[in-house]
Amino acid sequence: MSRFRPTFFIPIIAFLGLVIIGGLALQGTLSGSRNPNQLPSVLIGKPAPDVPLPLLKNSRAELALDAYRGQPLLVNFFASWCAPCRAEAPALEHLSNQISIIGIAYKDRPQDTLQFLEQYGNPFVAIGRDDDGRAGMAWGVYGVPETYLIDPSGQIKWRHAGPLTRDVITTQLLAKLAEMQ
Amino acid sequence: MIRSRLYILLIGVFVIGAGTLILPLGGTATAITAEEMLADPLLETRARNLSQKLRCLVCQNQSIDDSDADLAKDLRREVRAQLVQGKTDEAILSDLRAKYGDFVLLAPPMAKNTMALWLAPIGFLLLGIGITLGVRRRTTIPSPSPISHADRAQIETLKQNHKKASKHDQPWP
Repeated sequence: MSRFRPTFFIPIIAFLGLVIIGGLALQGTLSGSRNPNQLPSVLIGKPAPDVPLPLLKNSRAELALDAYRGQPLLVNFFASWCAPCRAEAPALEHLSNQISIIGIAYKDRPQDTLQFLEQYGNPFVAIGRDDDGRAGMAWGVYGVPETYLIDPSGQIKWRHAGPLTRDVITTQLLAKLAEMQ
Repeated sequence: MIRSRLYILLIGVFVIGAGTLILPLGGTATAITAEEMLADPLLETRARNLSQKLRCLVCQNQSIDDSDADLAKDLRREVRAQLVQGKTDEAILSDLRAKYGDFVLLAPPMAKNTMALWLAPIGFLLLGIGITLGVRRRTTIPSPSPISHADRAQIETLKQNHKKASKHDQPWP
């Protein structure tokens, strides 16, 4: 061993360090606890943004989230042009038996939204229209679908970007919901 | 020899460093369309400057100035709308930060949890300099010891003998 200089081991130790960091990241990705596509929301623990939106079915009336205080609430940003939104429609339908869901039609034409609801079902208690995406911006939406869980006091407790899968619903959403009740 | 190699390495580092500083200034690729631009050239310059600092959250490694994504377009419009309202650059950046988090800034802010990120390059540079100097010291060839008087005398006698011998040599036919 004495014929190796101490500097001989520097690259080996550096390489092992990289292997450990990469291995931890890979393990996190495979176990699902780390997803580089899921940006963390900074609104967790903050009150839901109060952006006035016209209702889909009556554009003179406004969607008021305050009216749903006192119960857990799910807010789902969707659009008729979004394929994953179609995929998660049955999941939302199923969830609507357990929790009130507010829909926000993100950058969609009202007639397209209505046709989408006719085709894939309407799990929403109310639907707001975010025609130019400014409400989405206030919520930190960076793509549809995105779903937010709001507690009875009106605070955002959880956010999921992308379609709600069975796994996401059972391991994350329902667990958070159970914490509230 | 080793010294000149070190200088070449340093020059290379400077050239690459200067290149990375100059390239973004000279870059012309942008996704902005004519109708998005503001009439006021001063505000438009500020809008472009801000857009280059903001990340497109869909494409993630492009600024909203570079990206063609819908969200980037929306963010560009939002930045311009806030500029027209008379907001300062800092106010606009902090507003978007409050909605999307630090990730929306291409340069992460200096904070406790980003300290390692900011200081690591300096640390690696110092480590590199340390290793380079260490290796250099070890490989420096020791300069030869001066020729002693005895050696010099021996060289002289050898030279004399050589001259004598060459006098007796037959010239080539």
